[in-house]
Amino acid sequence: MSKTSSRDSSSSGNSAELIDRYLQAVRFWLPKSHRQDDLMAELGEDLRCQIEDKETELGHPLDKAEMAAILKRCGSPMMVAGRIGPQRHLIGPALFPIYEFTVKMVLLWILVPVFVIIVGPVNLANSGGDWASAVLNTFGDLWSGLFIAAGIITLVFAMIERTNTHLGAEIKWDPLKLPPVRTGERKPSPLKAVCQFGFNAFGLAWLLLLPKYPVLILGPAAALLRATPLLHTFYLPFVLLSVVALLRPGIILARPQWTWFPLLSPLLQSALVLILLNYMIEALAKTPSAYPFVVLQDAVRDSPKYFKLAGIVNLSILVSIACVWFAVCISAIVQTRVFLRHVRKRTSAASGIASVGVR
Amino acid sequence: MWYIVYVAYYMATGTASSEVFENLRMELRRGCLVVAVLAQLRCEQYGYTLRKALADDGLAIDEGTLYPLLRRLETQGLLVSQWREEDKRNKRFYRLSAEGELILKQLLAEWESINASLNKILQEA
Repeated sequence: MSKTSSRDSSSSGNSAELIDRYLQAVRFWLPKSHRQDDLMAELGEDLRCQIEDKETELGHPLDKAEMAAILKRCGSPMMVAGRIGPQRHLIGPALFPIYEFTVKMVLLWILVPVFVIIVGPVNLANSGGDWASAVLNTFGDLWSGLFIAAGIITLVFAMIERTNTHLGAEIKWDPLKLPPVRTGERKPSPLKAVCQFGFNAFGLAWLLLLPKYPVLILGPAAALLRATPLLHTFYLPFVLLSVVALLRPGIILARPQWTWFPLLSPLLQSALVLILLNYMIEALAKTPSAYPFVVLQDAVRDSPKYFKLAGIVNLSILVSIACVWFAVCISAIVQTRVFLRHVRKRTSAASGIASVGVR
Repeated sequence: MWYIVYVAYYMATGTASSEVFENLRMELRRGCLVVAVLAQLRCEQYGYTLRKALADDGLAIDEGTLYPLLRRLETQGLLVSQWREEDKRNKRFYRLSAEGELILKQLLAEWESINASLNKILQEA
C-alpha cells in the first residue's frame, strides 16, 4: 500500500472516529426520547461532507487539528444538542407571570412573617435565651422552608404546564370587564369606604371584647395566662385609635369633596400609632420582668412546665410589635411621599391656572 | 485616566449597539429562512448541498438550525424525504411536496406584498 493511500485511509479513519466521538457527545445531551438517530446520521453526513470539501480545497487530507477546527466551528456538543433537541421549558410564558406572583406572595408575605413572628420566638424559647443560636436556627429553618416552598410551587406549576390545564383559563377573559384606567387622583370609592368601616367596626368590637374574652387572642392559653399592667395601660389608647380609624371612612363618605383627607388621614393615623408604640417600647424598656405582656395565672404560677408557654407568647407579642413598628414606619414614609406629591401637583396646577389668568 | 474612561465607555456602548444589531439581524434572517429553504428545495437536495447552496446565495445557515427546520417542515407536510445511497454513503434527500409547493407560492406572494409595503414606507420616510 502506497504512503498516500495509507495516509488517506488513516485520515478517513481518524475523521470517522472524531465525528463519531462528536456525535456521541451531542447524543449525550439530547433527551432520551429525542435521541433522533436520523438527525444524528444527517449531522454526521454533513460533517463528513464538510471535511471532504475542505480536503478538496486544500489538496491534502486533513490532520486532526484541522478536523477539530471544523467541529469547533460547528459548536460545542451541548450547544448543538440544545439547538437540535426539542424546545423545552418547565413553566411556559403563559403561566410564568402567575407562577412568579405566587412565589413572591408565598415566600415574602407568608413564610417570612411566619418564621419571624412564630418560629423565631419558639426557637428562642427552646434555646434557653441564647439569641445567637436562636437567630441562626431560625435563619436555617427559614432557608429550608423557602427552598421547600419554592420547590413545591414550581412542581405544581410544572404539572399544570404539562397537563395544559391553563389553556381554558387563557380563553375566558372579557375586555369589557377589565378594571378602569387608574389616574393620579382617584375619587374615594364609597364601596371601599363602607368595607373599611365594616372591618374597622369588627376590629373595634374584637378589641372591646378582649378583656372579657381573652380567648379571642390567646386561644386555649387564655386559661393559663393573663395580661400584665403594661397591656392594660395601653389598652385604652389602642381602643381610641381604633375609634379614630372607624371614623375615617365615615368622614370620607360624608365629605367626598375633602380630597386631601384620604391622603392625610392615614399619615396622621400612622403617626399616632408610632407615638403610641414608642411609648409602649419605652415602658417596656423600664419593665424589669421577663414577661412584660402576659404572665401565668395565679393557679399555675409555680408550674415550671408553663414557663416556656409564657415565654413564647411574650416573645411573639414583642416580635409582632417590632414588625408593626417597622411596617408603620415604611407605611408612613410612603404615605408622606404620596401626600407631598399630591400637594405639589395641586400647587403646580394652581400656579399654571394663575399664569394663564395673568396672560 | 479620563482617556481610559472615555475609551471604555465608547467600547461598552459600541459593543452594546453591535450586539443589538446582531440580534436584530439574526431575527430578520430567521424570518426569511423558511422561504429560502422551501425555494431551494424546488430541486431535490440533501442537507449539506442545501446548506452550501444557501450559503453561496448569501444565506449561511448552521447545521443546528437547518436540520431541525427540515424536520419541522417535513412534519408539517411541506417536504418529503428519502434515504438513498450516494457515493457509498447514505444521504437523506429532500424535496417539496405538493402542499409545500402551494405554501411556497403563497409565501412568495406574501413576501412580495411585504416588500412592496416596506418600499412604500421607505419612500414615504
